[in-house]
Amino acid sequence: MALEVADLSVSYGKFVAVESVTLSVAAGECVAVIGPNGHGKSSMVTAVAGLVRRGGTVRLFGNALPPGRADTAVRAGLILVPERRHLYPELPVRDNIMLGSYARTRRFGARAAWEDVSYVLDMFPELTRLLDQKAGTLSGGQQQMTALARAMAARPKVLLLDEPCLGLAEAVARRVYDWLREMTETDMTILLVEENPVHALMVADRSVRIYKGLVEVAGGRGDTA
Amino acid sequence: MSQFLNLLVAGLTSGAIYGIFGACLAVWFRVCNVLNLAVGDFAMFGAIGTAWLVQNAGLPFIAGIVVDLAGVGLAAWLFDWVVLHQAFDRGRGARGIVGVFFYTFGLSLVLEGVARAWFGTDVWGAPSIWPGPALSVLDFHVQRAGILVIAVAIVSGLALWAYLRFTVSGRAASACGESTFGSRIVGIDNAKFRRWIFIGTAVLAALFGIVESPLSGFTYLSGPTISLIGTIAAGFASFRRPGRAVAIGLAIGVVESMLGGYVSSSYNDVLLYALLFGIIIFRPEVLGLGAEPA
Repeated sequence: MALEVADLSVSYGKFVAVESVTLSVAAGECVAVIGPNGHGKSSMVTAVAGLVRRGGTVRLFGNALPPGRADTAVRAGLILVPERRHLYPELPVRDNIMLGSYARTRRFGARAAWEDVSYVLDMFPELTRLLDQKAGTLSGGQQQMTALARAMAARPKVLLLDEPCLGLAEAVARRVYDWLREMTETDMTILLVEENPVHALMVADRSVRIYKGLVEVAGGRGDTA
Repeated sequence: MSQFLNLLVAGLTSGAIYGIFGACLAVWFRVCNVLNLAVGDFAMFGAIGTAWLVQNAGLPFIAGIVVDLAGVGLAAWLFDWVVLHQAFDRGRGARGIVGVFFYTFGLSLVLEGVARAWFGTDVWGAPSIWPGPALSVLDFHVQRAGILVIAVAIVSGLALWAYLRFTVSGRAASACGESTFGSRIVGIDNAKFRRWIFIGTAVLAALFGIVESPLSGFTYLSGPTISLIGTIAAGFASFRRPGRAVAIGLAIGVVESMLGGYVSSSYNDVLLYALLFGIIIFRPEVLGLGAEPA
């Protein structure tokens, strides 16, 4: 298994956002996490990425990831594209992308990081003309492309995507899903959080539904449960 | 002509003081969005601590500098571990405006109290790193310590600018201040950058205090004034651009000196604040404050 999550729980004070979630994703598989807003989907992927405190275990290719250590998760090959992108608005697009590979290239300098920028520009050529523009001045769609490019610069083995099309225009959302479909044809392992099950099952091999912080039902491609 | 040159050097010297402390404030604010209001107290500990170690403890000057800077670094590390780590990494402290000002303001008061208890209320000055009489050409005179002050400010400003502009580590440091969550996503250790840049700027401020003290002397109360001067210079550089803080600090020092020499020194503070208010209100983009972050 590429990603194994067992008994995962997330609490914010007394509020339990995620309770005892167990799921696994095989290498090269794309699994969608669906369910209504506010039921713990984002908390779950954020915890898997090591960005919030959690209970339970997360294993990446058999190796346990320590809770709350995002840097360890990134170095092991797991990266999150968060719901609100969380770019660095005053830094140019080039630096935003370059920092995606920080965990791998920090010891090798800017030249090594620049190689990763070139690598992702092949995937997102529309960003080439925006490299010197501050990320905070980009449109929503351009910001989403930059967030995806930043994640790909890390050369991840497992990609966590949290609502990648939220708030995007139809044409931009289609572009994101076209790219995602291309990714599913590679050996990339993907965990996709998506509120809309129809969208999710267009690209995912199967889905799990989270309701009130618990895994409720599972479905396969073609289901829209 | 010689009056102009003398005023120019005097202005550059006082401007270097504005600039270097502005740079120390700006680089740390850029990383963690907190103002280091204790930066002047670190400078005070640099100057007085070294003077005390040399005059009272009998250490050789260089050894005194090394021991003093190590002590300042250790104090900064301790403060980060005891206060900032708990407040920012463990989520125990208050955030918002309290976090921006209060922790380092409290540190400033603590350092002031410790300095008074250890060193008393005397004026102290570390020995000069470059001893000797002022350098003179005709009627143009310049203190050796003044040359060192200007040189240290320019070299430090350029080094900080180059670090942030050209290195992966500098970009990562900037990203920490832009988006804490966003920087953690790519594996940047926010706490590490906050800690080491805090320690680094504390040591730099202390070093600058040692270099500068033969010119002005320090008391246990010197810290807050220096921190205020630094905050103004950092404000001119939008609190985020250390290289610009040094350049602007030098420019302000020269304008102040010329105004004092040719008009009246009474207008120095008026000029400084009027200029800052004017820019914030009418040309905020000059300070990099024009664009709304995404």
